[in-house]
Amino acid sequence: MVEAKVFLTNKLGLHARSAAMLTKVAAKFDSVVHLYGASKSANAKSVLMVMSLGLSKGAALTITAHGPDEAACLVALTDLVANNFYEE
Amino acid sequence: MVGLVIVSHSAKIALGVKELAGQMADSKLLIVAAGGMPDGSLGTDTLRIHEAIIEANSGQGVVILVDLGSAVLSARTALELLGQEGDGQVYIADAPLVEGAISAAVEASIGGSLAEVIAAAEAAREILKL
Repeated sequence: MVEAKVFLTNKLGLHARSAAMLTKVAAKFDSVVHLYGASKSANAKSVLMVMSLGLSKGAALTITAHGPDEAACLVALTDLVANNFYEE
Repeated sequence: MVGLVIVSHSAKIALGVKELAGQMADSKLLIVAAGGMPDGSLGTDTLRIHEAIIEANSGQGVVILVDLGSAVLSARTALELLGQEGDGQVYIADAPLVEGAISAAVEASIGGSLAEVIAAAEAAREILKL
């Protein structure tokens, strides 16, 4: 399993559109992916669970990936966050 | 991609859900709003739903989201109108309207099958918000 802790730097945080983008990226990988933030956890492949984390700009987010493509998966997700979900 | 039909007693709700789900989905995903009556009043219209199903189907089937239980009757009648065409291709998801539509839209966008899109919509029943 691999893990990374990131901070949301995009204006709207993990709102509808960004949550959907994250879910879609996670879904491309076979690995099991979880998100942890605000004392809650979410299956990254469920957009509703991701949105229920209610994370806004500045929030800390821990991403874990477990599976054959876990490394690539983690990179893809951390890149997405680092690029502010291509929002701005 | 599996298409979606949004059925609501309110035209505004159906359009709003379509807009929200659309924002999170692939731009090519077909999401058709079928809310309210032809004269703009509240209610669900079988013919409108029937047309919406045909419009939303690009060959991989359609999942219908409904707001209240009474919309199920209109949707089911619309399915009957479709007859054989709808057979095995069109399903009503037993899910909350907004959350089900969003979940279904994201799943359909990533190429989910009809069964997977229905499951995604219905998974919305279990997810707590707080």
